[in-house]
Amino acid sequence: MSHPLEQLREDALREIESESDEKSLDAVRVRYLGRNGSISAWGEKMKTLSAAERPVIGKLLNEVRNAVTAALDARSEEFRAQKESESLGRIDISLPGATGASGYSGYSEYSGFSTPLTGYSGFVPLERGSLHPLTQMLERSIEIFRRMGFALADGPDIEDEWHCFDALNTPPEHPARNEQDTFFLRDGRLLRTHTSTVQIRAMQAAPPPIRVIAPGAAYRRDELDATHSPQFHQIEGLYVDENVSVADLKGALEFFMRELFGPDTAVQFRPHFFPFTEPSLEVYVKSKALKGGEQWIEVAGSGVVHPAVFEQVNEARGDKAYDPEKWSGYAFGLGMDRLAMILFDIPDIRLFAQNDLRFLRQFA
Amino acid sequence: MKFSINWLREFVGLPKNPEETADLLTRAGVETENIETRGSKIDNVIVSQITASSRHPNADRLTVCEVDDGSGTKRQIVCGAKNYKVGDKVALALPGAKLPNGLEIRKSKLRGVESEGMLCSPIELGLGEDASGLLILSPEAKIGVPISDLFPSDTILDVEITPNRGDLLSHFGLAREIAALTRKKLKSMPPESKVPIRKTGVTITSTRECPFFSLRRIDQVTVGPSPQWLRAKIESVGIRSISNIVDISNFVMLELGQPTHAFDADKLKGAINVRFARDGEKFLALDGKTYSLKPDNCVVADEERAVGIGGVMGGEETGVTDSTKNILLEAAYFLPASIRHTARELNLPSDASYRFERGVDPGMIFRASARVTELIREIAGGTPAKEIQAAGKLPANPPDVSLSYEKCDRVVGVAIKPKTVDGILTGFGLSKSKRTSKSANWKIPGYRRDLQRDVDLIEEVVRAYGADKIPGTDRSRVMPSSAADRSHDIESTLRERLVAHGLSEVRTSKLIPRNAPAFSENAIVLQNPLSEDHVALRPSLLSGLLGVFERNLRAGAERVALFELGRVFAPPDVREERRAGFLVWGKRVSDPHWRAADQGRLDFFDLKGAVESVFPDKLSFQRSTHPSLSMAAEIYDNNQLIGIAGQLSTLSLKIDAPGGVFVAELSLDLPIKGLGSRATFREFGKFPAIIRDIAMIVSEELTHEKILKVIFHENPSWLERVEFFDQFVGEEAARRFGPKKKSLAYRLTYRDRSRTLTSEEVTAAHARIRERLQRELGAELRE
Repeated sequence: MSHPLEQLREDALREIESESDEKSLDAVRVRYLGRNGSISAWGEKMKTLSAAERPVIGKLLNEVRNAVTAALDARSEEFRAQKESESLGRIDISLPGATGASGYSGYSEYSGFSTPLTGYSGFVPLERGSLHPLTQMLERSIEIFRRMGFALADGPDIEDEWHCFDALNTPPEHPARNEQDTFFLRDGRLLRTHTSTVQIRAMQAAPPPIRVIAPGAAYRRDELDATHSPQFHQIEGLYVDENVSVADLKGALEFFMRELFGPDTAVQFRPHFFPFTEPSLEVYVKSKALKGGEQWIEVAGSGVVHPAVFEQVNEARGDKAYDPEKWSGYAFGLGMDRLAMILFDIPDIRLFAQNDLRFLRQFA
Repeated sequence: MKFSINWLREFVGLPKNPEETADLLTRAGVETENIETRGSKIDNVIVSQITASSRHPNADRLTVCEVDDGSGTKRQIVCGAKNYKVGDKVALALPGAKLPNGLEIRKSKLRGVESEGMLCSPIELGLGEDASGLLILSPEAKIGVPISDLFPSDTILDVEITPNRGDLLSHFGLAREIAALTRKKLKSMPPESKVPIRKTGVTITSTRECPFFSLRRIDQVTVGPSPQWLRAKIESVGIRSISNIVDISNFVMLELGQPTHAFDADKLKGAINVRFARDGEKFLALDGKTYSLKPDNCVVADEERAVGIGGVMGGEETGVTDSTKNILLEAAYFLPASIRHTARELNLPSDASYRFERGVDPGMIFRASARVTELIREIAGGTPAKEIQAAGKLPANPPDVSLSYEKCDRVVGVAIKPKTVDGILTGFGLSKSKRTSKSANWKIPGYRRDLQRDVDLIEEVVRAYGADKIPGTDRSRVMPSSAADRSHDIESTLRERLVAHGLSEVRTSKLIPRNAPAFSENAIVLQNPLSEDHVALRPSLLSGLLGVFERNLRAGAERVALFELGRVFAPPDVREERRAGFLVWGKRVSDPHWRAADQGRLDFFDLKGAVESVFPDKLSFQRSTHPSLSMAAEIYDNNQLIGIAGQLSTLSLKIDAPGGVFVAELSLDLPIKGLGSRATFREFGKFPAIIRDIAMIVSEELTHEKILKVIFHENPSWLERVEFFDQFVGEEAARRFGPKKKSLAYRLTYRDRSRTLTSEEVTAAHARIRERLQRELGAELRE
């Protein structure tokens, strides 16, 4: 035979289900759980039970109380949602949107149902919006490169191993092929670890000469800290033409850095190693505007495109368009987050993705 | 890798100031990341011996040591370290000593017990990074002698060696590079081995992975602690001292770059074979862990079992111990790719695998074996076998590389004299085999397997010539704008419009947490996420915007109006799509201002206005439903569904936000195509306009859209504009106009392009519109 408490639970749940508004639901709550409610009354009754019964009934009482409370809350939530969408249901969404300060949307040579018409001014001009500092950094960089004759190129964030490694002269088991730093999808594809993948895509798509930059996201399996983020932003550059040299590369990046950091910027190129360029150079700048001009700051990787990269591209294209004896090129990669941190004196890379308005407004 | 300047000086002359050496290397692409001075300014610290040790009466973690400082009287020192035993020689800082870290030593009472000085750890003396216990000195160290006699001052360079330069992973190798860059001669070369080689006693099954393997037997050695100089030398570059035999093997690896390994000969059963592991073969390595091997791992095995993972790590059971008498010394060459594969597959990187996977110098194998043998004989005694047992073949010399001087000039961008090029390459150990005036064939030394084609030689020229000496040229070429240019420009325009509209741009992570807020259902999950915060690719911009909203709300924001333009990864095929996301909430004006009285709160029509500002005259909104929205609209561009908008249901928010939160998201891939088309001029009306208003009471459900449709049904060509300018809805309206009624007001502007309208014709047309509103919509017109 079921315990009276179990019976109470059954009754309560049934009543909760059958009530149709908040008010009657409140009445149910009072009836069962109020100070004189029939479930609450059992709290008093506990005192009269034997020591053997008490823990068993105590446990049951708790269960019943919790079950009924949960059912009441859920039902009340339902009413709230219902009420919310009912009141919202009366709103006529076809009314014109608030169009901002100007208030005038031009002629209405009526062409459809939604011709925007003048409404009140919703966003008063006192509130300004702002561009994200990374966007500003990207826009500024793109503007400089465009002045130098570069067009934009684009490629996917999700890549295959060939575009990310093999085509860039980093075959399997190459010490620079850092799969441990790479995010993989379950289908075997990966998130590009650098925007250099767009070099390959641009060359696959068109024969030389080619002069492109590719802004975009890149991903590395790094722990998030003040200077590392698993997703960051780069601008890749590629120029392939006849007789492109280290001197051309230096001239281009020196120009860029001076445009960006000011004419007194000193630029230094230090030999380095990247599998897909030979020679490879790391780029450092020193400028009064940056940390008092005390130290060389690393800002980019660059180099002359390795002939093995051209050979891989030719193989994929099925022609000899990128004949390493005829064409040469330079490539570079700039870390946008890092450049923005340097230029705007931002101490922590995490601020970019947090998007605190107090941060964003500083760059409005 | 860490390099000792003193050690480098054994092979090559260096400038007095180590900074100059660091700078020279950095400018040549061998970046020095850190410079550290060791062992200077250690006064009043002497060698002492612990003669007794007892527990501190008042502190469990401390001990009280009795120490012999050579003065005849014993000192009592309180000590917190655990790594010593009675009899050990240790560094004792006497009262009055000032340690390199600034600490001044005084006689003092520690928890009630007198301490007459301090026993030091390596880090306290500036002799290493080890802070885990006392610096234990060699047993041969003389008691009472100043520590500075044992540790001559030195400078340690921490150098980043790029993966193509395995030849620089030793003091000799780096010295050779410095010699080449400074055009100096090396002071000494490791001598050639003269020990005869017999192809016996060893076999190789996995000949590709291990082309060459050698063993030399050394009998009757005495294993014990290393002498002080050896200990100091390896510890200065971060290798712990273990025993004389192991230390010697490490020392030679640090000196010459060739890893070697010593087996306890008496623990091996039968002959050595280098073979592939059996699938699942268990191996207990020197690090104390058991590894389960795969058939592509190459192992060194005796007749019974694997005794070493070739080139990676030796086995625990056959390693050298205190009781070892006879040893077999391995020196071999392993295929770099195979070593890398095995070390990564087993997650077992070691100093040996690090070098083998970057390629060791085959010419150094016998030299290293001889050097280890010689040092063992010197330090641990023993009789080396007259012969080396070996199998396999050393890898052939790398092929010659031909370089045309003209190509070199072309790639570098300046003319460099052939004589200078020759001088640089000869300095790096290359030799010319054939030469014309235009080009030369270069013989590549065995340690520079990274030099495979002409551009590799050109890089060497740039490194030694100096990148600074190459003047930058301003070479240009113009390119027509691309599809990417156009979509970039359109997005820039959209951003500007939204900023002008009062929204702030955000950029959220494309990687979202496992328990992201709403709008992250069916997100594609990474196979190898690193943290719970970056687990999946965002399928929508809205989950990120919600996160930003919640963060700002917690920070006390009163108005949050955001947008983001960016890529999402739409399930199920993870298609990459450009989208625009919007979120508005809170007060219209966040700060009080004399011109801005209370403007109320941002609502759905502010959101709609923001969305429409991006694509003016293009979009329509249709009622819909969405699990996370308590009011939802679909956004159409013509008849194409391109996005959603609505008010967030309170259930999908993790935080209590007063008032409604409004969000929208739309694809930029579709409508963007129609954007950027140029506007064309239309004649504006020269003739006067006639303006008439209509105010009406209609049913609450009647939409603006339907009313417009009726008004425009008449469509006189001179109805120029219709503006909705007032509404009165809600309970108060119902009370005044009847249940479920509302009042609306429209302004109609009439103007013809070619003539002045007469009042009569406008009145007639206006009356027709009024009449149609009454008839078709049941509108009750107000005067």
